[in-house]
Amino acid sequence: MQTSSDIKKIIKDSLFTGLISLALFGPIVGLKTSSKGEGLFVTPHIGIVVLLVAACITGRFLIGLNSLRKKEINFIAKITSSISRYMDNKGKHVAITGVMFAIVFPFLPFTDRYVLDVSIMILTYIMLGWGLNIVVGLAGLLDLGYVAFYAVGAYSYALIATTFGWSFWVCLPLAGLFAGFFGILLGFPVLRLRGDYLAIVTLGFGEIIRIILINWYEVTNGPDGITGIPRPSFFGLEFKKFPDEGVDSFHTFFNLEYSTMHRIIFLYYLILVLALITNYFTLRIRKLPVGRAWEALREDEIACKSLGVNPTNTKLTAFAIGATFGGFAGAFFATRQAFVSPESFTFIESAIIVAIVVLGGMGSQTGVVLAAIFLIGITEIFRDLEQYRMIAFGGAMVLIMIFKPKGILANRKPTVTLKDHIK
Amino acid sequence: MEYFIQQLINGITLGSIYGLIAIGYTMVYGIIGMINFAHGDIFMIGAFIALIAFILFGLTGIALPIILFLVLLISMLFTACYGWSVEKLAYKPLRGSFRLAPLISALGMSIVLQNYVQVAQGARVKPLQPLITGGLEFFKDSEFVVTVSYLQIFIVFLTIILMSMFTGLITKTDLGRAQRACEQDRTMTSLLGINVDRTISITFILGSSLASVAGMMFVLYYGVIDFYIGFLAGVKAFTAAVLGGIGSLPGAMLGGLLIGLIETMWSGYISIEYKDVAAFSVLIITLIFFPTGFLGKPDIEKV
Amino acid sequence: MNKNLLKVENLTMKFGGLTAIDDLSFSANNNEITSIIGPNGAGKTTVFNCLTGFYKPTAGEMLLNRNDEIVALKKFTDYKIAQKAKVARTFQNIRLFPAMSVLENLLVAQHNELMVASGYSIFGILNLKRYRDKEKGAIEKAKYWLDIIGLTNRADDNAGDLPYGDQRKLEIVRAMCIEPRLLCLDEPAAGLNPKESSELNKLLEFIKNDKKTGILLIEHDMSVVMGISDHVVVLNYGKKIFQGSPTETRNSKAVIEAYLGVDE
Repeated sequence: MQTSSDIKKIIKDSLFTGLISLALFGPIVGLKTSSKGEGLFVTPHIGIVVLLVAACITGRFLIGLNSLRKKEINFIAKITSSISRYMDNKGKHVAITGVMFAIVFPFLPFTDRYVLDVSIMILTYIMLGWGLNIVVGLAGLLDLGYVAFYAVGAYSYALIATTFGWSFWVCLPLAGLFAGFFGILLGFPVLRLRGDYLAIVTLGFGEIIRIILINWYEVTNGPDGITGIPRPSFFGLEFKKFPDEGVDSFHTFFNLEYSTMHRIIFLYYLILVLALITNYFTLRIRKLPVGRAWEALREDEIACKSLGVNPTNTKLTAFAIGATFGGFAGAFFATRQAFVSPESFTFIESAIIVAIVVLGGMGSQTGVVLAAIFLIGITEIFRDLEQYRMIAFGGAMVLIMIFKPKGILANRKPTVTLKDHIK
Repeated sequence: MEYFIQQLINGITLGSIYGLIAIGYTMVYGIIGMINFAHGDIFMIGAFIALIAFILFGLTGIALPIILFLVLLISMLFTACYGWSVEKLAYKPLRGSFRLAPLISALGMSIVLQNYVQVAQGARVKPLQPLITGGLEFFKDSEFVVTVSYLQIFIVFLTIILMSMFTGLITKTDLGRAQRACEQDRTMTSLLGINVDRTISITFILGSSLASVAGMMFVLYYGVIDFYIGFLAGVKAFTAAVLGGIGSLPGAMLGGLLIGLIETMWSGYISIEYKDVAAFSVLIITLIFFPTGFLGKPDIEKV
Repeated sequence: MNKNLLKVENLTMKFGGLTAIDDLSFSANNNEITSIIGPNGAGKTTVFNCLTGFYKPTAGEMLLNRNDEIVALKKFTDYKIAQKAKVARTFQNIRLFPAMSVLENLLVAQHNELMVASGYSIFGILNLKRYRDKEKGAIEKAKYWLDIIGLTNRADDNAGDLPYGDQRKLEIVRAMCIEPRLLCLDEPAAGLNPKESSELNKLLEFIKNDKKTGILLIEHDMSVVMGISDHVVVLNYGKKIFQGSPTETRNSKAVIEAYLGVDE
């Protein structure tokens, strides 16, 4: 029931919001600094400030009205709950359909070069999300420096491939192992730290790796990066218009017109396979004692210790395996771009991957897929709007956390049931 | 020797700036147990507001000391609004939620603030003409002349004043008591009639104000800012807070000075490219041996 | 076989200036339920924490008789107590894994054998028969305990969804899944109604008799203490003030004074 004093309060709140938004937007948006010769001068932009303030006041007013209703309309929670329910019932079907769709995707009519590139990017993030899911989602370890393993994988692939010229299928596992080794190296001293401290230390480690990559000219070539990384081949067939001496070309072997799409489609399937291997591995290991121990550690470490579970080894395993998959993804990245530089491995990447895992619902594999598509999709839709897309991205992170803190698909299914056992 | 003294002076100055930012981190962590990832960007916004105010006041003929004072107040006021708003929008709804939720929200907020400033003010770096120039010189006859600039004196002096006011606020006033009570047991505090929401909001406002002062100092000291300074300064300041023992105010300032000194000494004697690595490495090493920092209270877990 | 299971000698635990346990000595026997009682703050949970490796005692020895081999518990820290010394415990505030199912909780307790059987996950990943069989065995053991406490039909529900009394029972049988020599229960009857308390008594007697496990019990609920204890140790201000059978304890002047105070 709306009383006049309720309305008055809402109006007061809205005006207060207006005042605050004036303080927020007034200086930063309203007084833009621009260069003139040596110094800066300030140009007023009153119009846009007025618009923003008015929008805030109106928005606050509407929210206030909404809260007066008998039942608040929480749109986001409604949508995510129905997705959750649907997934609970039809989870397996959705997953299989999804995979089939992904398999035929490159041959669908609307899939052009741009769409395929975006899909490759989304799949890379999905793989990274699945990798980090082991660390953050299953074991509950706050890793904010996952990009470090991505970088180690990419750079070690680049260095091995350009120095020794071995094939993709040799360099990839080596890159992964290298990253996994780094995971153990880093994990060993820091995994006993409490949650938030672990977060900042892993963040620091990610930054250390990036700074080393920029400055260690002799090995990493500094900001210029490493170029000329050999592109992958289809079991010996190169994807070139004019192949090298003694090597056959893909398009001539299969009697097709040369097209760059061949290589792109091959890369697409490559990352699809890598991601699916990550997924399969995770699904299997969840059912094993070590996977259960990860989740138990996340729930209550003290109880785990009282049951004889070795927390340090268990955490280290999660960390190292997560790092290895990050390394594999890095190797793929290196061969796809044919070029690596420190710019691709900033903290923002770690933040994006963590966001994907948490938004998707800790530990939920399908959630990671949905979250990756959603978040990367947002940045692509807004691509034309340049920096606004990052504002949208950050805003999405905040909003989803507020309305669904447990993530989109937070319902967990037990890894083993008595029902299945008795059958 | 003279070179060392110069680095010492530089380090203390830089450390004061980090310390002021670190206090904001440690207070928020103490009272609601979360790392406010957006705090570094609040510092950045403080720097921008100070910059704009300096430019505008520079057009008038007002004397420099008055300008400094006015910019200080203005920057604190507007930046406090940002700190308050971020808490209300992104953190308050998540109080009581599981541990990672406010962290992700803070990350999102940090991304929003950085890009918001980038869009609104442009991506280019923003320079400011030096306003406080000159200084004192020592050891004029030796090979290396040690300079203590008036600006450095101003920064350290202002920091000392703020720290004293602050410590007085925390230990002697009702607000300070309420804050310390909230840190220990929020539920009980609210049951005793203290407005916990307001105490938390004020904590954010205070932290943001100090960060804005650091921002103003940064603009004056380095003469150039951009929308990205918040990230690095923020992480280092949080490192400082952890070093000094998270939750401890004197620890935050101590940690800040330490980080400032380490960074300056490293740049001065070893290499300037890897100076950021130095700060992070110190953090990692410290946490391995002192998991709760130098002045932090050791965690005896109640089983 | 030697009857003595646990011998605590001159145990002292100091936290800075505070002495929580002062020169405490007592013993517990195999196939017996020994209760540790005392007013709040007497140091009972601290004793447990020392026994189970969460605190390192300032002084003293805790000797466990493990199949006629004497083991000093002081050497084992946190998880090794359960893994190697085979001492299990429950907690004052129930510590289950709430988001995992009842069955999963019991499987985590069997982690170490399952890890070995899974070849540290290698056999597991390859889904080899030897692992599958071991896992089946583990589930059977879990089912066995669930049948005893009547929770078989809730095996696949989340542990956090169970009512309080059932959570308590689950925590106890979870501890039993590591096949301990000594089971330490911290106020298991707290918050239980009379019916649940008597069910608890039955469970503990079953464990004592059928499983040949020694039980150490911290309790305030006298119906449980008097009902099933073979032996009672009374603490006050970190010191032992009495030790004897339940009847002796009930009649002891020192104990009555400690709990009820002395007439001025």
